[in-house]
Amino acid sequence: MQKLLERIVAGASGWIELRYQARSSKRITVRNGILEESSSALLAGLGVRALVDGVFGFASTTDVSEGGALEAIEAAQSAARTSAGAKKERIKGLAEAPMAAGTFAVATEDPLDAHSLEEKLALVLRLDEQVRAGAKEIVSSTASYGEMQDEKVIVTSDGASVRVFDSKPELRVLAVAGRNGDQTMGMESSGVTGGWSDLLGVTAPEELVEKAVRLAVEQLTAPHPTGGTSIVVLDPGLVGILCHEAIGHTVEADIVLGGAITSDKIGKAVASELITLCDSGATEFSPHAVGILPVDDEGVLTQRTVIIENGVLRSFLHNRETAAHYGVAPTGNARAYVYSDDPIIRMRNTYIEPGETPVEELIGGIKNGYYLRGLGMSGQADSNAEFMFGVKEAHRIADGKVGELVRGATISGNAFDVLKSVDVIANDFAWEHGAGACGKGQAAKVDAGGPHIRCTLTIGGRQT
Amino acid sequence: MSAHNLLDHCQQALDLVRKHGADQAEIFGQTTRTITSAVEKDDLQISKSQQETRIGLRAFVGSQVGFASTNDPTKLEDAARDAVTLAKASPGDPHNVLPEPTPAEPVDGLYDTAAESFSTADAVKQAIRMLETAKSVDPRVIVGEGEFSAEIRNRVLVNSAGAEAKELGSLFTYGVLTTAREGELVSNMAFKFGAARNVGEVNVEAIARDSSENALGSLGAEPGESFVGQVVLDPYAVLNLFAPLQFQLNARNALRGMSRWKDALGETVAVPGFSLVDDGRLPGGVATGAFDREGTPRGRLPLIEAGTLRSFMHNAYTSHALGVANTGNAAGSAGSLPAIGPSNLMILPGEVGKDELISEIKRGLLVSRFSGNSDPISGDFSGVAKAAYLIVDGKIDRAVSGTLIAGNLFETLKTLSGISRETERVFNYSFPYLRLEEVSITSE
Repeated sequence: MQKLLERIVAGASGWIELRYQARSSKRITVRNGILEESSSALLAGLGVRALVDGVFGFASTTDVSEGGALEAIEAAQSAARTSAGAKKERIKGLAEAPMAAGTFAVATEDPLDAHSLEEKLALVLRLDEQVRAGAKEIVSSTASYGEMQDEKVIVTSDGASVRVFDSKPELRVLAVAGRNGDQTMGMESSGVTGGWSDLLGVTAPEELVEKAVRLAVEQLTAPHPTGGTSIVVLDPGLVGILCHEAIGHTVEADIVLGGAITSDKIGKAVASELITLCDSGATEFSPHAVGILPVDDEGVLTQRTVIIENGVLRSFLHNRETAAHYGVAPTGNARAYVYSDDPIIRMRNTYIEPGETPVEELIGGIKNGYYLRGLGMSGQADSNAEFMFGVKEAHRIADGKVGELVRGATISGNAFDVLKSVDVIANDFAWEHGAGACGKGQAAKVDAGGPHIRCTLTIGGRQT
Repeated sequence: MSAHNLLDHCQQALDLVRKHGADQAEIFGQTTRTITSAVEKDDLQISKSQQETRIGLRAFVGSQVGFASTNDPTKLEDAARDAVTLAKASPGDPHNVLPEPTPAEPVDGLYDTAAESFSTADAVKQAIRMLETAKSVDPRVIVGEGEFSAEIRNRVLVNSAGAEAKELGSLFTYGVLTTAREGELVSNMAFKFGAARNVGEVNVEAIARDSSENALGSLGAEPGESFVGQVVLDPYAVLNLFAPLQFQLNARNALRGMSRWKDALGETVAVPGFSLVDDGRLPGGVATGAFDREGTPRGRLPLIEAGTLRSFMHNAYTSHALGVANTGNAAGSAGSLPAIGPSNLMILPGEVGKDELISEIKRGLLVSRFSGNSDPISGDFSGVAKAAYLIVDGKIDRAVSGTLIAGNLFETLKTLSGISRETERVFNYSFPYLRLEEVSITSE
């Protein structure tokens, strides 16, 4: 395939990018002891991007023969030509970048295909049963396993020619508890870039079950929090979602150009000087982050991008087009989920760097506040960095001790204000979003995490 | 791939699944041709042409089921083998059945032949019209994102019980996301969506103007007040906040014991003015079609009628398991097993105007978008009221920022005090404005 694409690119006129992708995926879902899904998918296709008269055009096809590729190139070039008359700002050029060559593959000693479907099914059936057996209050259980294996070949007319192999498995469990017509739920998940034992090693499946069951049951008797401003300790899960959803999107250069609040903030203090926030194609501090990306979908070698350094905004996240616009180097953030998607600016692994203080000291210093763990059912943020996240698990902190669980808490505010309020950062670190995916018109496997941090924000509860 | 080819491939896949050892089988095939033109940050961004085929194969071995899908007609044999292998490795379930074959009456108006000649250049024109209209409202408006898309979709379903259904549809969809900016002030994002089955019904100007006006409205919003009071939700906010209803009305969740309404058929779950209907044959609906994901005919299904729970949404599995009629709500694409979902879900309009809903409020909040958490199981909702306006003495007083609203959806259904006669279609939903009582409103 690589040789074929190289030959086609060599014969094509103008700037062209060809991306072949073959994806094999599997999904198993068991709910209340009943197998609800066992499925596989085999997908392959070619995505073509052409640049004509300073305008991109894109086409995709499932016909990956030479003839199919040539037709798709014509369609992409035609889409670009048609748009050229209407586009105000033409692309002046694509920034020079370290274009990738060779083969990149996820390192694992235990590939997913070495494990039978029966073994994967048995694990899911067992976890589902363990949820139901976990407590008498459990009224419903779900466990699911998913895996995705990709082969990509990216060839561009300006020097990239690369094969990339990737492997990402994930596990989820859901417990629903009920009493007197009231129902509550606990959900836990884990996902990695890697193989079978990497998935089971990052978080033991039994630990996912134990946490989900406990959370569902304990919420049945938990009161709602009191709304208002509070000092809180955020766990790595919420730190990750704050980094990704509330800060990260506002520094994606396409969003910046669309009028994000960060557009004139480079070089300015935007957070406490304790904060260094990065987005990396590598898995920093802890292995197997799900957003590992050695080469992006423009064929650019990725790097660790420092977004905020000691509180000062240093960089946006770029593809080759926005990098040229800003006169900086591309950061390797152009990504496409499947062959039929065109590459757009996406995050990879987004995190806050750890500090030096033990977690207990963060909590110990609080007289009245909350300990908040994990993202709940939803989360959203605007390009002005205002966010609202459901919290999976919230406990009151009283006199330096984690106490009573409260239910249905949300947090909201402006993410930069929250980062300015950070007064201490813990010395731990975890990736917490391996089973999730980010949506921006198309999906992307991204990870996010960090250490525990202490800050001030608004808790949503009930007005009494 | 032509419609004729797709039917051939589906029939070939049916034979292959049986050849590999399935007793029964179902094949669902889709081809989609899509032309898209996207705008971003006040300019045309990219135009695309995409062509995709997907064939989903469901194999039944006794009561065991396996599923595989592919987009490559030369891989049908591999997919058939996968589906049967997965079925044989899986525990059986007596409710894994195919639906009774019932011919579906075709729906008129699904396909506009003009879609065939709709070109990338036409899509670019519509996208530019949407962009220019949004900008013409006010120079402070920024079009963050927008997209115009023209799609031709061909669906085919065949199964071993003798079902054979096919349908061709065209669909034009468009949406625009705007913000307004003045110096340091940045408004909330405002989103509007539109759709049409025929080229002639496309109206990008209307949604572009609405989106810009919504963004401008929230510019310069200042912190609100904390109180317990009435909230008027606009149809987009209803969509976010009322999402748990779909979870509760899914028969599979009733079967799983996860729906609070599992034993509540015939009982009162909402105020008498509240009716919820799923209409698979709604003229012009985004999700309109003659048959569902399993080939069962779709119709008009009252789910909640004048406050009384009348039905759940069913597919073949839940209909067999609960011994009730199949409602034709099998949902999903050729890439996944049939699930359950609504087609065109509608809260029926009430009798009062939306302005009257507001004019009767002494102190309350109008919410254009709800960004938060609406728990499908408990019904607890809590989140930020976006583009929210304080209502004082029956009039809109001012735009407020950083305002959280919280309550419980199931309690809200029983205390709703107003449903507007105006409705709006958002994706495959049609909702009125609703007035909620006793909502906890917290200012940051």
